[in-house]
Amino acid sequence: MAETASPGSSTPTGPAFESPVVRSSPSSNVGDLALTDASATTKWLVRASNDGPTADLLGARFGTSQVAAGGALVLGSRPGEWIILGAPAEVAATVADLDAHDGRDFVSALDWTHSRAMFRVTGAEATRMLEKVCGIDWSDHMTPDGAVVSASVALVTCDLARNDVNHDDTAGTPSYLIFCDRSFGQYLFDALVDAGDEFGLSVLASGVS
Amino acid sequence: MTMSRQGVQPTEVIDRAAKLRFRWNGKRFSGFEGDTIASALAAEGEHIFSRSMKYHRPRGILTADYWDPNLMVQVGDDPNVRAGHRLVRNGMDVRSQNAWPSLNRDLKAANGLLGRFLTAGFYYKTFMRPQWLWPTYERVLATFAPGGKIDIDTPHGYHDKRYTHPDVVVAGAGPAGIEAALAASTAGARVLLVSHEHAVGGHLRYSSDAGDQGALAELRASLDASDVEVLTDSTVTGRYEDNWLGIVQRNHPIAVERLIKARAKVLVAAPGLIERPYVFEGNDRPGVITSGAARRLINLWGVKPGERAVVFSANADGDAAAADLERVGTEIAAVIDARSGGQISSTAGSSRAVEAVMANGEQIDADLLVMAAGWTAPTSLLNMAGDRPVYDPAAARFFPSDPPSNVLSTGGLAGDADLDGLRQHGAETGRLAAARAAAVRHRLQARTARALPVEGDEPAWAVDERVPLGRDPHPELFRADTHGMVDMSEDISSKDLVAAAHEGYDSVELAKRYTTATMGPSQGKLETVNTVAAIAEARGETISQVGTTVWRPPYAPLTLGALAGRSFEPVRVSSIHPWHEANNVTLIQAGQWLRPDHYGDPQAEVRNVRENVGLIDVTPLGKLDLRGPDVPKLLSLLYVNKWMKLGIGRVRYGMMCAEDGVVLDDGVTGRLGEDHYMMSTTSSGAGGVWEWVENWLQTERPDWQVHVTPVTTAYASINVAGPKSRELMRRVCEGVDLDAEAFPYMTVREATVAGVSGCFMWRIGFTGELSFELHVPAGHGCHVWEALMDAGSDLGVGPFGLEGQRIMRLEKGHFIVGQDTDGLTLGPSTGMGSLIKLDKDDFAGKPELAWAADRPLPLVVAIQPDDPDVVPEEAAQILRGDTNEILGRITSSRFSPTLNRSICLGQVEPHLAAGGTKLTVLLESGERISATVIDHHAHFDPAGERLRG
Repeated sequence: MAETASPGSSTPTGPAFESPVVRSSPSSNVGDLALTDASATTKWLVRASNDGPTADLLGARFGTSQVAAGGALVLGSRPGEWIILGAPAEVAATVADLDAHDGRDFVSALDWTHSRAMFRVTGAEATRMLEKVCGIDWSDHMTPDGAVVSASVALVTCDLARNDVNHDDTAGTPSYLIFCDRSFGQYLFDALVDAGDEFGLSVLASGVS
Repeated sequence: MTMSRQGVQPTEVIDRAAKLRFRWNGKRFSGFEGDTIASALAAEGEHIFSRSMKYHRPRGILTADYWDPNLMVQVGDDPNVRAGHRLVRNGMDVRSQNAWPSLNRDLKAANGLLGRFLTAGFYYKTFMRPQWLWPTYERVLATFAPGGKIDIDTPHGYHDKRYTHPDVVVAGAGPAGIEAALAASTAGARVLLVSHEHAVGGHLRYSSDAGDQGALAELRASLDASDVEVLTDSTVTGRYEDNWLGIVQRNHPIAVERLIKARAKVLVAAPGLIERPYVFEGNDRPGVITSGAARRLINLWGVKPGERAVVFSANADGDAAAADLERVGTEIAAVIDARSGGQISSTAGSSRAVEAVMANGEQIDADLLVMAAGWTAPTSLLNMAGDRPVYDPAAARFFPSDPPSNVLSTGGLAGDADLDGLRQHGAETGRLAAARAAAVRHRLQARTARALPVEGDEPAWAVDERVPLGRDPHPELFRADTHGMVDMSEDISSKDLVAAAHEGYDSVELAKRYTTATMGPSQGKLETVNTVAAIAEARGETISQVGTTVWRPPYAPLTLGALAGRSFEPVRVSSIHPWHEANNVTLIQAGQWLRPDHYGDPQAEVRNVRENVGLIDVTPLGKLDLRGPDVPKLLSLLYVNKWMKLGIGRVRYGMMCAEDGVVLDDGVTGRLGEDHYMMSTTSSGAGGVWEWVENWLQTERPDWQVHVTPVTTAYASINVAGPKSRELMRRVCEGVDLDAEAFPYMTVREATVAGVSGCFMWRIGFTGELSFELHVPAGHGCHVWEALMDAGSDLGVGPFGLEGQRIMRLEKGHFIVGQDTDGLTLGPSTGMGSLIKLDKDDFAGKPELAWAADRPLPLVVAIQPDDPDVVPEEAAQILRGDTNEILGRITSSRFSPTLNRSICLGQVEPHLAAGGTKLTVLLESGERISATVIDHHAHFDPAGERLRG
């Protein structure tokens, strides 16, 4: 899954995408913990029966995630509901595959890019930071890499996915994707910055994870 | 009592190289890093720290720790600070509380002369009558209220919050607690060890025994090398259902306090024991201290507590205190050994003298009386878990009875042993806790979708095979042959408790509330057992027969700041919000939304819309994306009107009524495609309607194929309104014919607007003007808004806010659900009864609406005051003539710049609803004005020519 490399348009020929986060500037901190505004990432919402052919096609069962063949990340956000995210082409490939159900399933898919703010928190202290704003059990056995959960974050209803960074140089670094209604985006971003302050949180440029 | 700093002690926690300066009642003092306020003051010879609550008796150090009731001080603007615990800091301004004009000469000590009248229940008995005098009583009594002073203008600092889910929480970091934490961690559990004190070690910290110090070093080294998370200066304040624990962390580097909400799989209670004072006449005199206080002062802070001491000892800790005192040069005038029948009766003397009076009348001159009379087992956390501890007279303290199996106890709370025995029991407890936590974790994983898959069956619940700790015999020492203070926080004596028992308050819970014993800042830690013993003695019963009070949360008092934690107040803004902020907006909070109310002059905004064209950000309008072949059936169920034949590209207004026929919400729904619809709701109703729709689908019609997705903020919504709106839209739209014939009122089209594809437009509005309601993918909202502003500059385009819109919708006579309706307004009362189609098979609220169809209901009508300059307040009553009979109310009112007069909507009795009916409206000022019902809801353009364009 590749989040949008540059925060441009989710509609290829349109104007630039406006992030819900307007009060943010990349910090000079170089600490381990980093926050990225990834709201520009293409996101689709798919709904279908929980145990039908679409569920088989997407693979990720409720509470888990997996990378689809085309490279998009598929999150099993609720029973019978999936969030697909990635670069526009990756998401498009997965959404196009949904037609394969051939009428055997009642499926709807809609572009959620503009509906949801999305942030990524990465670093060894990411869990400690989230413990300040969210009551979920973040331990490895309850929320392992790949887990997907809905929870209140700083009193905002969010979907969260643990999606550890596994680059060669930072193998297994805890990383979390946080989605919320776009209208809460600035508020939640500020709350996350505040929560991360004691851990030396650095704010990275939008769209770069 | 003459205290002074001594030479370096091997166990001291102060850094003598780091000198700190602070003020005490305005005078300069100094201490060292690691000193508490009390130890620093004691080291400089201070011996009076406070005045007692009721009698204003001088009070000195009693326990020299967190629980010391005599060490409450004011630090800066922070009242009721525990000087026995709070570390001194450079520049601190410390002041005494509850004394006037000064600590040493407190005129309120005159209360002591009235002591015989100020017994328990004095307030209840005295200030009952006459009832009308209570406000005066209250004012006078408030001047005697103890405690420090609060300055409400003081910044409250940063309070933090944290959630955590450890396998095992160990409350208490003495040797048993540390061993429990280490063993649990070694067994694979995630462990949180909570120490009430500034450092782990419990009683080992102030022991001068070399063996104890060696063990402490070993335990600390083991902790450092372990994965145990250690919180010092922190307290487990409460245990709630399923081991939900409140922990307050006082020493966090970035926060004044942090409240930690921990869900522990197993709780290990290891709080140790708290030394209880002995009750005798003069036991609250400065210079009378517990053995623990003596040892802390000497061994932690290098403070010699006195020059000449009498030690009253019933246990080894008293003996150790005597040894410590002797070591630092305090003359031991006498050791009175309670184990061999020694007794103390009272104290006498003045100022710094403490003359100990024996039971036989012998007096011993001293300046220090050290008492070691026994222990209180702080069973609070066990009580909170439902346990009812039992009293053992042989050991003279309470022990756990039958706590839940996910709450274990160890250390002094569980029994007695030598250090090795306590450590052994702690380790066994830790292993048991880890094993039980593993079973809980297995269960949680198995039932949590996101968790790692479990392997095998759930482990069996580990059997408790620990060897129980013993119980050392201890004399039952509670009160001498004289009466003295039992609760020093509240100034409650044993005589008060005996009197209460004789007055009939023989239940310990009643006596507690009547006397307030155990209800002060010490919260019973020092006084509970003595209270129970006094009542038992008065009743001629045993302590077991009397029982004890129930300890409830919090274990230790905590601040409101800690409870409140960080202030989360989510706010929502549209994607156009940055433009509003940059353009002189006045915002209004509507639910969680921050919305433009106006941009300086709402009346001018209205005139501009009526004459030119205006833009309003209506993003909060609820929007639900509906997909599936059964959407028409769903709409027919939800709305009171018909929906089965809505054509593609058409939009229809609908009203929703709840199952009781009361108006729930309204809005329009458009058909975007064969099986694709978009429903709009009111802004305030968006969340509720979504839940209502999902409820119908999931519980009543699960067989219908409909997917409902809230997309309210997926789109930035802009209403372009005014006679020049079509011209403006032509300049920015592509791919859609905007002529009135091609795109008529109540239709919907998809379009590209200002280069943004995927927009859709409705030909609807709320202002009564030609309007285009534009929904733009939110990530381009600001771009489109600015494009509209640029493109329409020569057309006079300008923004308008909620206030302008409210004026225009009132001119047009559109009602607002919740404003012009209320929780009793049935559908027909809106004046739109013809919309309700009772010939439909079924819809929400049909039976009630059928019942209401031929009933005389109040009606929403348009009203105009006869004096056009008078705008009645919203909610003004409509009365019958000069009487006070209420016939209705004004629900909305504004001054209309379009009509240059006041206009209203209101609800009236049905016989008043006809056009031309005269009404009487009662203004807030008391004036009654006349008004007239008009023929239509619309004050302006009733034929709707302007909106159809």
